[in-house]
Amino acid sequence: MAKKRYGMVIDLHRCVGCAACDIACKSENNVTDGFAWSNHILETTGVFPDVRYRYIPTLCNHCDNAPCVQNCPTTAMYKSEDGLTLHDPDICIGCRACQVSCPYGVIFFNEEQPHPLFREDSDPAIPGCTSTGPEVTEKVQAPIPYYNPARAETYDGIRRKGIIEKCTFCDHRLAKGQLPACVEACPADARIFGDLNDPESPPSRAVAQYTPKVLQKEKGTEPNVLYVRDFAQSRK
Amino acid sequence: MKTQNKSSVAVRERENGCSRRTFLKGVGGVGLIAAVGGGPLFTFFTREASAQSKELAARWVSSTCQGCTSWCPVQVRVVDGRALSIRGNPHSKANHGKVCPRAHIAVQQVYDPDRIKVPMRRTNPKKGRDQDPGFVPISWDEALDLVAEKMMELRRGDETHKFAVLRGRYSYLRDIIYSAVPKVFGSPNGISHSAICAEAEKFGAYYTEGYWDYRDYDLEHTRYVLCWGADPLSSNRQVPHAINIWGHVRDRARVAVVDPRLSATAAKADEWLPVIPGEDSALAVAMAHVILTSGLWSREFVGDFQDGVNRFVAGDTVDEKSFDETHTHGIVRWWNLELKNRTPEWAEAHCGIPAAQTRRVAIGFAEAAPATISWLSPGACMQARGGYAALAAHALNGLVGSVDSKGGVVQKTKIPTGGIPDFGPYQDKLAKKLSKQPKIDQRGRLEFPVLNGGKSGGGVVTNNVADAMLNKDPYEIKVAIAYWANFVFSCSGSDRWERALSELPFFVHVTTHASEMTHFADVVLPAAHHLFEKWSFLKSKQNLHGYASLTKPVLKPLWDVRQDESEVPWLLAEKLAEKGFDNMQRYFREAFADPETGQAPTTSGEFALYAVKMMTRPCWDSSHPDYGKYGDALANWADFEEKGVWNTHRFQYRQKWDKFKTKTGKFEFYSETLKKALQGHAEKHSVTTDEVMAATNYVARGELAFVPHFEPALRWGDESQYPLIFFEHRSRLNREGRSANNSWYQAHKDVDPGDENWDDVLKMNPVDARGLGLRNLQMVRVISSTGEIEVRLKLWEGVRPGTVAKCYGQGHWAYGRIAAADFHKRLPRGGNNNAILPAEYERLSGSTARHGGIARVRVEGA
Repeated sequence: MAKKRYGMVIDLHRCVGCAACDIACKSENNVTDGFAWSNHILETTGVFPDVRYRYIPTLCNHCDNAPCVQNCPTTAMYKSEDGLTLHDPDICIGCRACQVSCPYGVIFFNEEQPHPLFREDSDPAIPGCTSTGPEVTEKVQAPIPYYNPARAETYDGIRRKGIIEKCTFCDHRLAKGQLPACVEACPADARIFGDLNDPESPPSRAVAQYTPKVLQKEKGTEPNVLYVRDFAQSRK
Repeated sequence: MKTQNKSSVAVRERENGCSRRTFLKGVGGVGLIAAVGGGPLFTFFTREASAQSKELAARWVSSTCQGCTSWCPVQVRVVDGRALSIRGNPHSKANHGKVCPRAHIAVQQVYDPDRIKVPMRRTNPKKGRDQDPGFVPISWDEALDLVAEKMMELRRGDETHKFAVLRGRYSYLRDIIYSAVPKVFGSPNGISHSAICAEAEKFGAYYTEGYWDYRDYDLEHTRYVLCWGADPLSSNRQVPHAINIWGHVRDRARVAVVDPRLSATAAKADEWLPVIPGEDSALAVAMAHVILTSGLWSREFVGDFQDGVNRFVAGDTVDEKSFDETHTHGIVRWWNLELKNRTPEWAEAHCGIPAAQTRRVAIGFAEAAPATISWLSPGACMQARGGYAALAAHALNGLVGSVDSKGGVVQKTKIPTGGIPDFGPYQDKLAKKLSKQPKIDQRGRLEFPVLNGGKSGGGVVTNNVADAMLNKDPYEIKVAIAYWANFVFSCSGSDRWERALSELPFFVHVTTHASEMTHFADVVLPAAHHLFEKWSFLKSKQNLHGYASLTKPVLKPLWDVRQDESEVPWLLAEKLAEKGFDNMQRYFREAFADPETGQAPTTSGEFALYAVKMMTRPCWDSSHPDYGKYGDALANWADFEEKGVWNTHRFQYRQKWDKFKTKTGKFEFYSETLKKALQGHAEKHSVTTDEVMAATNYVARGELAFVPHFEPALRWGDESQYPLIFFEHRSRLNREGRSANNSWYQAHKDVDPGDENWDDVLKMNPVDARGLGLRNLQMVRVISSTGEIEVRLKLWEGVRPGTVAKCYGQGHWAYGRIAAADFHKRLPRGGNNNAILPAEYERLSGSTARHGGIARVRVEGA
């Protein structure tokens, strides 16, 4: 069987710009405040009343020609056999070359330990009557109260200070035949995920049906996140 | 939030052999973690079993999200007793098994460190925003003893009516605490939040088609959607359904959005009509004018001229006898009284929408009929003169026959759940007598007709309670219990609530979080979170299916909380019984029982569970006469508990024509139903209906009061001093103003078009900013005739020049350490709109007029 090439097609016509993807990603991947593996570009153009608002969901493009991989001095950033751009925290030296070379701003560097609210908080709102972050985590016996242990099956459950982190297309879920969390959480069914090497897969069909676009094509990164149709049509 | 770095904990978890990479690397992959500094995290990881086995132990448990009033059936992913995430309930026919972004945020709510974990007692007798309440923890027994003692003082003084229950959000267990508790005790004062919500919307449907409720919309089959302030992709009342189907809607229908702000839905529409706030009625009657003059009304629903010649010609009076009306009432009278001169050109001068656009939208809307939707929302009618805007916008559905039609606007399906048992036998003489006192909110007075359901004083005037309490009119409230409410924040003229609660002798707040209202409480009772910790059920509809959806204790609460609508009344009844008044306790113990076993409740938890089982019996008990009649036939209680949702059959079109619950049975353009209600109210006060109109701020007189008509916006503040019109809108992330203390809310706030993350910006068109010499993202003071806030300014083309917009939901000064800029200093993050909005009303429905540009403002650099 041919090698897989995982990819995602985002149907902007269906997308309503609600950020359910962004929040579900934080939840699934134990992502700290300030980081957004799943994110968005916003754009308001025109002059009242001819105004157009667009929302473009973003995430790691899992590029075929990934600058982050090429520029990583330790091979911590690597391409998997099925096309994912993954990161090995054990050999990452935190040099941030990947972050600098990524044109999409989807790689995040842990300058501090993540989730400070649940580690360092010692000043409750109402002493004796409300709690602190550490009090909650001690009660639930988890590093953050909604900690997802499944994330740790293929990556650091929560990443460490001094290294980078990024979207993995939820490789831990793919390994179990599940879809990435952002795909499953999209209430608009705007995210179409699968094997782009399989012409019958849902994303391949979407690519065949519509004219796909990628972000910053001129950079030659060959993204595996593609966009079809428009968020907002021109008004008639 | 303090973020000083005291420890260095490398959080790491790796399961031996569970991933290819880990296996290949070998060393360092076993078990975990390098932890420096110890603490709970270290403890956790050293005792943690493998990640894989945890994942296998994950289960999905059904409940309901009450982040907005869609009330979506959901499921919670639970691992090791913890909630990880939320998804739509796949058993639901309403929301396609989807949830909007709000539901995800609930997980942060339940684990919010700022939740109240124990009952609290106030130690500082002085009350006010500037006073530290000095809360100290106490036991439930002590707390309820204090509450019961204050209540017993009222009984001893024969003044039990001076007790009130103030209800905010609720489930359908509400009647226990809201109705039975005050009435068995001896007070009429169950006061709901309904009038700060959307009652004016119901006014529109009631006085045209006799339906006092929210409508449903057949988005699957529609060909045209005309939204009046409605932003269904963001808020109310079927958000996941609307989001999921919007691509399909855009494929086959045109969408037009009337809103002074480029809302999320307007951004994905064909037409944006940026109306001047409060002038929606001008636009709606102009559209009606166009539909009639263009001959595009529904012949099937409305009827036709006897000779088929359209006499609806601008400016011409039409002979009523020339028209044979079928399923509607008063089309010609409406034309003659109101519509004949309401041309789009006339409307343009009032509402600011170009005549050509009004004409284009009206014609497009009518040509697509009957598969069209005129979608009314609070924005277009929770206005001081919004009652008639509601009528006009909804009447468009009547004109084109989309009422009750495929692809149109429909009513609800029957959900056959029951209410609480009769508490009459448990009311003693004092209770019977004093619960007939007038309610505190002054409903039914000349200036507050509140004609809900056609009756003078038929509904609530929530926001007026603050003034009534301050004026002790009709009497003083001495003891009040508020639950799931934060009127100090959520009611316009919020300063009045601060004063009213400062003067209230004894106030009890039942709440998950400390909030602005808590700040004035004598006793605070920590509440269970609805989605994760509480037995209840909800009723709602989306996608032409009604449903009953359970909430249940998915998690074991971390803190010493109780269920607000069931356990708190039960425990309070026990205390009252100890003090000699056992009627409430007897009612709970004798009138409630487990329908499966017949067993009476012996604990508060059993009481909560049995109440839900009793009220939802028709959904799951095959011995009930309604079982399976209106929808799903669930096998038994266990089946309902597992699935979490009971669905009705799909709505059937065209069963209501000629059977509308109006006075005539028809869809009324000339509302005989409203005429009767207004006349009834006038007679009660020995005045004319014109005097009622004058007392309720309306400008129309005579017969116009009985038809949908134009009313000019009412605004507070003189234009010369306050040149800009302020209006507010909702957030797609607001869990009803309760999510501002969650980082996922703040970190994604920019998905409300024009907004900024971690901020609460005032949106102004750049053309206005240039005139005022203001810069993007500078701090500004926003000053109305009644209040002032300080926020950041955002220059944005998506807001109408001459107006400024701000989202509701921020400006909390007491809702927690993220919601407030400085909780301890009571400094808000952003500014609460309700501090600058005056307490004004749509008085025919009692609604708070928070929309329609009620406040003019001045914006100055701070």
